[in-house]
Amino acid sequence: MVNGQRKNSDTTMVPETGGQDKAAVVHMPGPLAQQWGKGRAVMAGVWSSPEGRLGLCIVMFFIGVAIFANFVAPYDPYEQSIRDRFAAPSWAHPFGTDYLGRDILSRMVYGSRTSMYVAFGTNILSVAVGVFLGMLAGRNKGNAIDYSIILMFDMIRSFPQILLALAIVAVLGPSLTNVVLALSFTLFPFYGRIARTQTLSLMEAPFIKAGQAMGVGTMRLMGRHIAPNIMAPILVAWGMEMTNMIIYEAGLSFLGLGIAPPGASWGNMLRKGLDSIYVAPWMIIFPSLVLFVGMLGFTLLSTGLRIGLDPHERRSED
Amino acid sequence: MLLYTIKRLLWMIPTLMGGLFLVFSLTYLMPGDPASAMLGPTATQAKIDAMHIRLGLDLPIYERYWKFLTSALQGDLGVSIWTGHEVSALIGSVLPKTAILAVSTIAFASLFGIGLGALAAINKGGIIDKICNYGSLLNLAIPSFVAAILLMMFFGVWWQIFPIMGAGEGEGFWSAVHHLVLPVIAMSTGWAAFMLRIQRETMIETLGSDYIRTARSFGAPRWHIVYRYALKNSIIPSITILGMGLGALFGGAVFVEIIFNRQGLGQLIVQSIYKRDLPIVQGGVLVAMVLFVITNIIADLIVAWVDPRTRLK
Amino acid sequence: MLLEVNNLSVEYNIGKMSIPVLDNVSFAVGAGEIVGIAGESGCGKSTLGLAVARLLPETGAITNGQVLFKNRDLAKLSDREMDKEIRGNEITMVFQNPESALNPVFRIETQLNDFLKFQETDGNRRTKQERRRESIRLLTETDIADVEARISNYPFEFSGGMKQRVMIAMALSSGASLLIADEPTTALDVTIAAQINQLLAKLVSTHGCSILYVSHDLGLLSEICDRIVIMYAGKIVESGTVEQVFGDPIHPYTKALIAAVPGEQSVGNRLSDIPGQVPPLNKRPVGCNFAPRCPFAFSECLERDPDFELKKKSHGAACFLEKGA
Repeated sequence: MVNGQRKNSDTTMVPETGGQDKAAVVHMPGPLAQQWGKGRAVMAGVWSSPEGRLGLCIVMFFIGVAIFANFVAPYDPYEQSIRDRFAAPSWAHPFGTDYLGRDILSRMVYGSRTSMYVAFGTNILSVAVGVFLGMLAGRNKGNAIDYSIILMFDMIRSFPQILLALAIVAVLGPSLTNVVLALSFTLFPFYGRIARTQTLSLMEAPFIKAGQAMGVGTMRLMGRHIAPNIMAPILVAWGMEMTNMIIYEAGLSFLGLGIAPPGASWGNMLRKGLDSIYVAPWMIIFPSLVLFVGMLGFTLLSTGLRIGLDPHERRSED
Repeated sequence: MLLYTIKRLLWMIPTLMGGLFLVFSLTYLMPGDPASAMLGPTATQAKIDAMHIRLGLDLPIYERYWKFLTSALQGDLGVSIWTGHEVSALIGSVLPKTAILAVSTIAFASLFGIGLGALAAINKGGIIDKICNYGSLLNLAIPSFVAAILLMMFFGVWWQIFPIMGAGEGEGFWSAVHHLVLPVIAMSTGWAAFMLRIQRETMIETLGSDYIRTARSFGAPRWHIVYRYALKNSIIPSITILGMGLGALFGGAVFVEIIFNRQGLGQLIVQSIYKRDLPIVQGGVLVAMVLFVITNIIADLIVAWVDPRTRLK
Repeated sequence: MLLEVNNLSVEYNIGKMSIPVLDNVSFAVGAGEIVGIAGESGCGKSTLGLAVARLLPETGAITNGQVLFKNRDLAKLSDREMDKEIRGNEITMVFQNPESALNPVFRIETQLNDFLKFQETDGNRRTKQERRRESIRLLTETDIADVEARISNYPFEFSGGMKQRVMIAMALSSGASLLIADEPTTALDVTIAAQINQLLAKLVSTHGCSILYVSHDLGLLSEICDRIVIMYAGKIVESGTVEQVFGDPIHPYTKALIAAVPGEQSVGNRLSDIPGQVPPLNKRPVGCNFAPRCPFAFSECLERDPDFELKKKSHGAACFLEKGA
């Protein structure tokens, strides 16, 4: 084994169906040998299906808008204009203005920043913690470490996600960082469970046993050899959880527990829109639309990932 | 079956204990001193000390936890800081309302999702299948609260077909149903779409399996294959989701309750969060957790009853 | 003739590709006969069995030919007619993998009850009790121990051999005239397999039906079959009585297959095999399918695909060689 480059490894990942969380019930990819440098192969896989293509485009669009919000937004999202309150969509304000005269389009553009920040932040944190703990548990199957980690996972997963996140944000105080922390806390067990199941079956694989026999240490084993091979179902789950985190961020902001005003979030725009439902329906329509498209994008990406990573599902193109 | 049930119930105990501990430790996350936070800036030191004792903050952690645990097990979830009412009474009064919402939602979603999913599986590749595929994909992308707001706008404000406020208390059964329509549709679209896809996938797999072929080789008529055999085999994941969904909906009803101004567990928790009434938040989340765990276990037990192989695990 | 298959062609449609799996296959099975279909994996023998019973998977389709069973063309019947009149009544099947052949969430007695029910016509409906008695009687015939108690078990509580016995018992219960056995003992270990095959032979002689026995085990087929059909890459290359085909094989493939079976002469020597590989089904060579690997091939073999011809009485092959290699 040179630099973790394995040429002919044949790892079988046992899909786990049934159980307590949505991610595990989703159809899991089949046998696949995945290495760190295979980002390109993943991209190619995603690109191979129409769902993947569309999803990737939408996602890249949102990421781009979020990063370059300053350049994309026509107005300053905080700039108020009492004169122009509740203006209907026009050439000056394509999506209209809100109750403080702020341009809705600009606020939507900056809102994507909030969504992407929370979605990516939460998922990165959750994947890091969850996968690490999951691998640790799988590596130590049957002993105290395993049981305590499983218990921790089950403990957190026994709460409806939204309520637990609400409660944590409630005590920590509303802020975007706290939202990320709260959501990560509720999310990492889902990744952890996937990681653990995959690790369990992987521990039986011949190349892992060979590594252990040669004296490869636990950390190196987990990082170099196990982690790359469990990334496929993690990636698929990630796609789904991105959509969930976008919803939760919007939901928490909707309840006033997310980004602090005057910060822009699709969620709190909807809240104000709800208050003004009789007066300015565009305050509802456009944020709803952008939320919908954003979620559609990530859902399609997730489907594309699933199709791209599973050799069985790939449509034959000859 | 009995053995499996007992094993399952036993595993429930540490999970519930852990959950209780988690809820309990929420108080420790709060920055600052809970007592002074509640009493406000005008409080005197004496008042703060009195509040400390009232909240039990002067006791060591394990004693507080024990107190919390024993009271909770007896159904005493503390009292509201603002009104002094018992938390369990407050929760008890709103819980049935959320239950109605949750049960209606999951029933509607299951009927729709499983029914259409089965239809799509039988019609695989056909036009019904394609419609279901794209329709469910679109529905999955709509979060419940967005759907709720949009439904409210279209069918409550622009065309005033459905009421947009409250649950129609005291106005009779049909009014209650009328008030239920928009909230239930909003909450169930995502779940129905999800269940549709799962049912379709599972059923297609089942219909292609060897044992179905065996039945066909004996001359089993098509309806028997689909309704008696394939359905029982393929409904298993759907039951799991059903159980999971029912429990999750007690929490997930939060947004719909706020938007449609309905009383319920979710609304109670959120209002208490705004008012910083921590005991109610704790109690509410605790109750939701317990319900979630129980519904999941019931779903697991039903699955084990339907599919005897799971009892071996 | 009980069963006459004429020029049967079957295709599988996967995505945009159509793969021909059976190419102009013709053979016949008489009453009370055991006919073996032999060949390597992928030669289409399982597909042949499934096609006769019209149990091809969704992707499969009969593109040409007739399946004449008691003078009715099964290829033209609707699914419903097949269900009501043919499957379970006249033609039954025993499949290769007993582990997956039974529905795991229903008890054995429930499934047996159902199988018996499907065989009944409206005129002679039995009660549940009667079917249960019948099930017990049938299973006892197959030497399963403690039938009365075990009949209410779930399939996973039975061993593979026992499950196969159950399937055979049910298949024969219908009084069907044709039993299609698709490698029924391949998934079982040798001693159990021997018992199962003995059981099959015994039950066949008592019930008087014909068997279409699909297998890759030449030795087995030579023991139990009356006539045998050899298949290669979707076509029939030789057919005749067991004595004819094994005693005096015409087609080089048949010769090679027989030679490849380990016997006394191979002790101490290398086992003989057939060099080369079976051509992929969608990339068959022009001319005879076997020509690339055939030690006796000549120029015509590479240009034209030989048709099946009777060389001697009831013994024929698809080969340009006149009297065998």
